[in-house]
Amino acid sequence: MMAKLDKGKRQAARQGLLIVVVALLTVQVTSLLQFAYSKYTVTQEANRRAEGQLEATELHILGVMDQVETAVRNAVWSVQQQLQRPDSLAAITRRMVENNPVVCGSSVALTGRNIAPYSHEENGRVVTSTLATEEYDYQHQEWFLKPLELGKGYWSEPYYDEGGGNMLMTTYSVPVLNKKGHPAAVLTADVSLDWLTELVGRVQVYPDAFSMVVSQSGQIMVCPVETLVMKKNIHELASSMEEAEQFHQLNSSLLSGQPGNATYRYEGKVHRIFFDSVPRTGWSMSISIPQDEIYADMKRMGWVVLLLQLLGLGLLGLVLYVTVRNQRKLNQVSLSKSRIEGELQVASSIQMSMVPKIFPPYPERSEVDMFAAMDPAKEVGGDFYDFFTRNERLFFCIGDVSGKGVPASLLMAVTRSLFRTVSAHERSPQRIVTTINESMAEMNENNMFVTLFCGVLDLRSGHLRYCNAGHNPPVLVTPKGNRTLPMVANLPVGVMQEMVFSEQEEDLVPGTGIFLYTDGLTEAENHAKELFGEDRMMEILRADISSRQLIGDMTAAVHGFAAGAEQSDDLTMLYIRFMNNQLAGETERHLILHNDIQQIPQLASFVEAVAEIAHLDVTLTMSLNLALEEAVSNVIMYAYPPGSDGLVDVEAVVRNDELEFIVSDNGVAFDPTAAPEADVSLDVDERPIGGLGIFLVKNIMDRVSYTRSDDGKNILSMTKILS
Amino acid sequence: MDVRINETENVTTVELEGRLDTAVSQEVAAALQPVIDKAGKIIVLDCRDLDYISSSGLRIFLTVRKAAAAAGGKVIVRDISTEIRQVFMMTGFLNLFEMQETPKD
Repeated sequence: MMAKLDKGKRQAARQGLLIVVVALLTVQVTSLLQFAYSKYTVTQEANRRAEGQLEATELHILGVMDQVETAVRNAVWSVQQQLQRPDSLAAITRRMVENNPVVCGSSVALTGRNIAPYSHEENGRVVTSTLATEEYDYQHQEWFLKPLELGKGYWSEPYYDEGGGNMLMTTYSVPVLNKKGHPAAVLTADVSLDWLTELVGRVQVYPDAFSMVVSQSGQIMVCPVETLVMKKNIHELASSMEEAEQFHQLNSSLLSGQPGNATYRYEGKVHRIFFDSVPRTGWSMSISIPQDEIYADMKRMGWVVLLLQLLGLGLLGLVLYVTVRNQRKLNQVSLSKSRIEGELQVASSIQMSMVPKIFPPYPERSEVDMFAAMDPAKEVGGDFYDFFTRNERLFFCIGDVSGKGVPASLLMAVTRSLFRTVSAHERSPQRIVTTINESMAEMNENNMFVTLFCGVLDLRSGHLRYCNAGHNPPVLVTPKGNRTLPMVANLPVGVMQEMVFSEQEEDLVPGTGIFLYTDGLTEAENHAKELFGEDRMMEILRADISSRQLIGDMTAAVHGFAAGAEQSDDLTMLYIRFMNNQLAGETERHLILHNDIQQIPQLASFVEAVAEIAHLDVTLTMSLNLALEEAVSNVIMYAYPPGSDGLVDVEAVVRNDELEFIVSDNGVAFDPTAAPEADVSLDVDERPIGGLGIFLVKNIMDRVSYTRSDDGKNILSMTKILS
Repeated sequence: MDVRINETENVTTVELEGRLDTAVSQEVAAALQPVIDKAGKIIVLDCRDLDYISSSGLRIFLTVRKAAAAAGGKVIVRDISTEIRQVFMMTGFLNLFEMQETPKD
């Protein structure tokens, strides 16, 4: 058993572990897939955001440039018209500054002649001066030479205007051709890039992301570190860094003019950089985002998910542990439960084998027809019935032990055994019940008791003697109707010792039935809690059907009534039909005695038994006893020689209207009828002591005859006519 | 069968209880021998508890009666049952004994 349990335990543990592992794998695989997908979408999202931002900024920059380029182009025509009148060129530059907010300075510088009027904004006003000074020498400046060289508009490298207003500036300059198509002047517009710093500074796709704009040569135009702006170019910057190589590579990608993205390490952190070039200017713009920041939300979520998973797994483990433990307990409980059920099954069959179950029990007897049914509410019950025949009497009983189940069934077995033991030598129901009560009350420590009806039916005469110890009164079922047997109120057996029980009697006419039952019948309940009751029972009881059919009808009726409601009490029924009086036939009784005078008292019970069969009264019984004793004692005393062994055979034959005693022996031939009789009229002095015996025999009996048989037997026949 | 003998100066009372059949008759006869030996007074045979009597019992009664007659005594049979009275009648014993009934209360 223990090995079995251990095995079960190990198996349960293995199953539990398997479930946890499978759950873990499933959760982890899904999580990883989910994580990978999330990472992909987050990356996509970061790309989209960065690229979108770059594009938007670029568009803004281009918008400003377009504005400037358009303004400049429009002014070119005016300059061409005024080339011959240099004095008016200053006015053009003035208008340029006044009419275009983004343009903060403008000049027209002539080739060949040293004329270059210049207007610029200063403290909200437009001031006009000239660039044609000795120190400046505009004709050798990049902004002047480059457009002429290219033959088209040119955006200068950004520069820091330290003289004008400490601003980051760039200049757009276009060549102006004269009527002959030769370059005659250069028209410029200075544009402040302050807005660019502001615009790019606004770009905040992630909290720690930063943007940079560099010129075509790598000059830093916009950068979160202000000290670097216009002071360093990115090549110098890269060289000053650790892991300079990666930054040099990055710089080439950045300045290639192609859009793209890359990663780099800076101060131990991985950054992702997105870049693109701004058309026409040759500038490059980039956004750097710390990789951690891109995936920060995802990582946070990842931790939360992991925590939840661990909690879930822990919970699953706990649930499994509890389930497995409960299952084991349940297994143990159901194991012992099934053992008890098995034992109860055996107990049930033992109990059922204690009561007679073969019907008809006496197929050879036509004088009695009986049937019984016992249906315990549980496997075993406290109801019982029993019957047997002895000396032409049917001994029967029905009982109901207080309580139900196993304790009741044990007491039931005891009571039934007592009934068998006691009634083996008692034929008075009153004495049977009294003896059972004495035994049971003596050992009754649990204060259980038994209602018991005990009856003895003379199968010859239909004479019923009964004693009822607190049981439901049986019903007499007669062709004329049903009635309950009259009952004296006796207590149940087992209550207390020395109780006096009353016996009652009743003569049954042939065709009468006795219906015995326990209260499980009348107190059977239906779903509405109504009782089956005596009225319903009485309706079923009929004298003209067999005992089997009657019990069958009653069972069907009570089941039909209960309609599936749970049976609350044991249900037992016993039905005995007394069929016909066998006095019409012949009954014989035998008794064999030794030639010992001490055996004479046996005659008393023999005669009493015969008298019961013939249903004789007490006086006649005593007379017959006397006559038989005289005949038998005569044989005992005189038939055999003194000291020798011999037998006396006594036979009683009960016929319809007479009773015959036949006394026979193997002794010496002797005819008692021939012996002198006592003369009862003599006075005391003359009366002889002997001779009274045969006188009594002849006087009590109606016919007395003696024969000596051929095989050497004395046969004395004495007949009494029964009125 | 029980036999109880109660003697006073003039009266000997014999209480008989049970069945006086052939089996016990010798015993009872032996028990009554002292009564028979001193039969010259009043002998009361109390049959209140006598259930049965056979001819052997009747013979004991007759023996006592004869002894009393010889010794000048007297035998009274008291309170016999209906059944035994019938036997007494049948055998003419009713004429041989003085019968007495204790009035029932």
